[in-house]
Amino acid sequence: MLYRTAGQFKTSYAADHALFPVRQDAILLGVVLVFAFVVFPLTASEFAFRALLIPVLIYALAALGLNILTGYAGQLSLGTGAFMGVGAYACYKLITLFPEMNIVVAIALSGFFSASVGALFGLPSLRIKGFYLAIATLAAQFFLVWLFQKWAWLYNYSASGAIHVPNISMFGITVAGPRAAAITQYYFVLGIVCVVTFFAINITRGRVGRMWKAVRDMDIAAELVGINLMRAKLTAFFVSSYIVGISGALFVFLWRGAAEANLFDIPLSFRVLFIAIIGGLGSILGNYLGAILIVALPVIISGVPAMLGIRVASATVEHLNVMIIGALIITFLIVEPHGLARFWAVIREKLILWPFPH
Amino acid sequence: MKKIMKTAALSAAFAAGIALAAPASAQEDSIYIPNLSYRTGPFAATGTPLMNGQRDYITLLNERDGGLNGTKLVYDECETGYNTEKGVECYERTKENAVVTQPWSTGITLQVLPKSNVDEIPILAPGYGFSPMANGKVFQWAFNPPSSYWDGASMILKHISEGNLDNLNGKKIALLHLDHPYGKEPIPLLEVLAEKHGFTLLPIPVGLTEMQNQSAQWLQIRRERPDFVLMWGWGAMNAGAVTEAAKTRYPMDQFIGIWWSGHDGDLKLIGEEGKGYRSISWSVPMPDSQLLQDVREYVVEPGKSLIENESELDSVFYQRGLMISAILVEAIRAAQEEFDAQAPDATQVRWGLENLNMDEARLEELGAAGMLVPFKTSCADHTGHGGAWMLEWDGEKFVKVSDLITPDREAIEPLEEQEAQAYAEANAPWPINEECNM
Repeated sequence: MLYRTAGQFKTSYAADHALFPVRQDAILLGVVLVFAFVVFPLTASEFAFRALLIPVLIYALAALGLNILTGYAGQLSLGTGAFMGVGAYACYKLITLFPEMNIVVAIALSGFFSASVGALFGLPSLRIKGFYLAIATLAAQFFLVWLFQKWAWLYNYSASGAIHVPNISMFGITVAGPRAAAITQYYFVLGIVCVVTFFAINITRGRVGRMWKAVRDMDIAAELVGINLMRAKLTAFFVSSYIVGISGALFVFLWRGAAEANLFDIPLSFRVLFIAIIGGLGSILGNYLGAILIVALPVIISGVPAMLGIRVASATVEHLNVMIIGALIITFLIVEPHGLARFWAVIREKLILWPFPH
Repeated sequence: MKKIMKTAALSAAFAAGIALAAPASAQEDSIYIPNLSYRTGPFAATGTPLMNGQRDYITLLNERDGGLNGTKLVYDECETGYNTEKGVECYERTKENAVVTQPWSTGITLQVLPKSNVDEIPILAPGYGFSPMANGKVFQWAFNPPSSYWDGASMILKHISEGNLDNLNGKKIALLHLDHPYGKEPIPLLEVLAEKHGFTLLPIPVGLTEMQNQSAQWLQIRRERPDFVLMWGWGAMNAGAVTEAAKTRYPMDQFIGIWWSGHDGDLKLIGEEGKGYRSISWSVPMPDSQLLQDVREYVVEPGKSLIENESELDSVFYQRGLMISAILVEAIRAAQEEFDAQAPDATQVRWGLENLNMDEARLEELGAAGMLVPFKTSCADHTGHGGAWMLEWDGEKFVKVSDLITPDREAIEPLEEQEAQAYAEANAPWPINEECNM
């Protein structure tokens, strides 16, 4: 009913390969964007901005970066947290060395630092695969976090070893730092996330994306049909780390406000990996769904007892929270092992066929 | 399918409702005191007794006196698990009606510190946080009474050198610390003092993931044979360190912890073997004081406390929790009197924290004589620098073994000034309290 495709005829190849061959998808995306750009900013409280909307967007972006590497190019990585750290520290150094620099430029440039580091640590992928590669990226994780702690120049020799985001304004509006309004930061993050997502969708649909998918599915076959493995794998590492680096810079500058090296340790890598896996490897939408489940849902659940007026000790809520989220993750993965994005795809297919299932 | 859609729509609406609704607010005519607690995670063992103490003091006032001068105190916890990310979420969740922020971790303190000028809620971080917060002109909204970490470091050195730091010349002092902003806090001061007094400082970091297994660190200690080991440990790290020290037979009388490393539960693990271990502390447990009797009568016996067994009441950390709430309540009381307000707001409580006078007479009135170092804050001094006592583990409990030790402020002040200015510069525009001329 909602998804009836009858009457939508394609008369050219271009139309058949359009981003949204089914019109309802475009409408749905439009609705989501209206919510993101208009409805949420009008209704959300500061708490909703800072604890739900901004972190979901930033984590989704990080997962998107990882997904390009793991989901599209098939290279397992456990170093996402550290690559986010490279982006964050690079952005911090750029901002403190060149205070006049526009923050958008600083964030865009900091992505290149993490992209280079990512490509460097991606070199072993030319020789090793699968779990062995995961171990090599794990080395990057440990090494980089160690470097963030020991290389005092990175945090401007501050006594606590932490980096602090100064007040940064752009065109007269404070966008980062303690004085920035939550709504400004939300729009800033949303803008960057939308632009990056747009490019990510088009890269993964195009020639480069197909090259990655071929490598993922069977690299020997890909090599035999003439794909340059080195180029494919290294571009995957480069693009992935670039996006991860940007998300790291946003993570610290537009959300946390301060960070120490431990923040980028392995739990962060796992968190992003879980978002990508639960959302669905090899999908763009999945990153958002995964981030909503892993990042936003715990915050929402811990607000439930207070909203219903039940007085429960906050430690108990926290224990319940862990149990509920854990159970949900297991349930979703049993129901649909390919992640939430696939779950949505199944629902959509059924809706298209409805009310005449095969 | 319809049903699924309906459920999905309902749950989405429900989720959006929660997300967008303002967080739970306190009732009128009450004072909302949130606490960013941690009763879960690797730091729960040390966090829980402190939180219990804090909670019970507020419960005691509500039960015994009907609140504070007739105004109910609403104590609310938000669980962080010592995780900075959760901490910031909790800060946002509780800040709307809060008269104070109690971040309970140096990492979370560093995160909320820059926001304090904007949100105008005072941060109370008793005995933790960023040491330069003592400078009240720069950190107008942050308070860390009664002693800062730098005070603590100075007092420990003073005690082990028998009053003259030059006695440490040529000695080697290891600093076993948590590799976290908290553990790194004393390093800048210790480095300055090491250079000035000619001792060698050997920082030995313990990562968050290796807290329970410190064999590598203690191997290093055995190899280097330092004359003293100072410890800036927390949570599971304390227990790991004392058991490892006992195992490697490190002389306990050369092993001294900061106040957060003096937890009864950790030392009970090794009991007799831990005899001689010392911990500096600005609070002393007094199980026979009037305050404790009242807590037993009004809170524990009616079953309003969360403590698991009665022996927890006598522990250093539980009673320190009581004292922390006492400091806060005294500030609120001062604000009530000054502004003639039943429920003072955050700005007024800030004034209260700045004009605290916890002298011996006041502690006596609270039934807590000798439980806390006397101190006094001002607009320029947000710490009070009350000093501390040395506690020693006698195999069963911690006992006070020294007179009041005071920090060597002359050595600390220049560094505090310098770091505070550096912080203000890095975070410009940072407002400085110009009205305060002390």
